[in-house]
Amino acid sequence: MRSTKVAKYGLFAALALMMSYVEMLLPIPLLMPGMKLGLANVVMVVVLYDMDAKSAFFISLVRVLLAGLLFQGFAGLLYSLSGAFCAWVMMVLLKKTKQLSIIGVSVAGGVFHNVGQILVAAAVVENIKMAYYLPVLLVSGVVTGFVIGLVARLCLQYLHAMGRKS
Amino acid sequence: MKRLDAVLIAVVLVIAGLCYFFYMGNATDGAIAVIRVDGTVVQELPLSKDTQYTVHTPQGNNVVEIKEGYADVIGADCPDGLCTEHKRIQKTGETIVCLPHKMVVTIEDGEKQEIDAVVE
Repeated sequence: MRSTKVAKYGLFAALALMMSYVEMLLPIPLLMPGMKLGLANVVMVVVLYDMDAKSAFFISLVRVLLAGLLFQGFAGLLYSLSGAFCAWVMMVLLKKTKQLSIIGVSVAGGVFHNVGQILVAAAVVENIKMAYYLPVLLVSGVVTGFVIGLVARLCLQYLHAMGRKS
Repeated sequence: MKRLDAVLIAVVLVIAGLCYFFYMGNATDGAIAVIRVDGTVVQELPLSKDTQYTVHTPQGNNVVEIKEGYADVIGADCPDGLCTEHKRIQKTGETIVCLPHKMVVTIEDGEKQEIDAVVE
């Protein structure tokens, strides 16, 4: 069983990194400059449900560090880390309550990813006026979280179907 | 999808709406563009006068342009350049941020200027 886990770690980390790369290649123009879909979060949600919270944490950490190193430079690393961490905490907590489906958990992840980033940004520029971005970021967090939840649910269905065959 | 999913989505959207109205509801045409670097005011530009101003920060430079009553960041040597892509601003409370340079341009109501100075 352990080798399965090692293989999954590598596979999901590589997949998440690929998602970050694809997203960088295709900047989809959204409402605001700098806004992103968060494709890598599909992988995080899938890992959270297919594996466990600890794996999601470490795969997310590896993804953020490598993406920062390879594509984005370290300027944005602080924001990526805080966003990913906030999203992870909320998703793990809400998943534990068992009151929400994968969609709801993913929406919470999307929203808190943005909230975490904006809190750090407000601290960095020492200006609470960053709150100006909050409404836009909340709505975009809901929309992207919803889409990501749907995609993650589809992925899990395929994964489990394949798992039964093999 | 469970019922609480919908509740969660609704709650977040309501909070977003409330923030929006609280923040932008009493927005009026602003009078000055206030430029801050790392939390301290470095320059105030009246929106009534067309001008260009280069902000020098320890990390790099940003060019702020005042034109036709709007403030806009038209140039920056930061790596992402997101501040230059931001649409121009005019209403009080509207903000353009350059995170790498810790530079913030905010539209403010000129009359509150002195009170703000006391608070700071």
